[in-house]
Amino acid sequence: MPGKLAWYEDNQPRDGKAVDETWIGDVADSDVPTCSLEDRVGDIRGRTAGWDACVVVGPERVVLGLLRKAELEGDPNATAERVMRTGPKTFRPNVTLEELLKSMREHDIQTNSLVTTGEGKLLGVISRADAEATLAHDQA
Amino acid sequence: MPSQVFSVPEVKRLLEQGAQLVDVLGADEFERDHLPGAINIPLKQLDENTVAGLDRERPVLVYCNDFG
Repeated sequence: MPGKLAWYEDNQPRDGKAVDETWIGDVADSDVPTCSLEDRVGDIRGRTAGWDACVVVGPERVVLGLLRKAELEGDPNATAERVMRTGPKTFRPNVTLEELLKSMREHDIQTNSLVTTGEGKLLGVISRADAEATLAHDQA
Repeated sequence: MPSQVFSVPEVKRLLEQGAQLVDVLGADEFERDHLPGAINIPLKQLDENTVAGLDRERPVLVYCNDFG
């Protein structure tokens, strides 16, 4: 088979000590808004209510870039391709919440982190606030 | 014996049909997490003796960490 990461990316069960851990693939929000390179910011803004981010994806939801609040509030006629942040940091679904938060602190990521497959396909996002709250709950 | 790479749905189907699952990662990593039902035979320990417990009549699915 291709590897155990592919198994976890498919949300299949695991065994071992990690059954007691929370992995980010367990809690990532897969409903995050997405757009294509050609979409215009004004149109994207209209369908991302309640979100401060939109992930720019290509075929098979491969992540190409990220629009954060600043870009979403910018020129409505600009295409996603022109204003997106390229090469956003991504995490695999079998990273623990603790590992994610450590990395977010080190890289000063205050908002959302992207969870992708090893091939870069978008699985979901997790906000730093949600990660902090979930971990605090787990450790209580 | 022929070898082949299977997708996750194919692996699930084969496991339901009685295939055996072997994790060839290190013991520490296996202890941390592995697929349900897998047995651990670290790659460096793969030899006639360590695979002797496998049923030769049933398919064996071998996995490591990632693609490649």
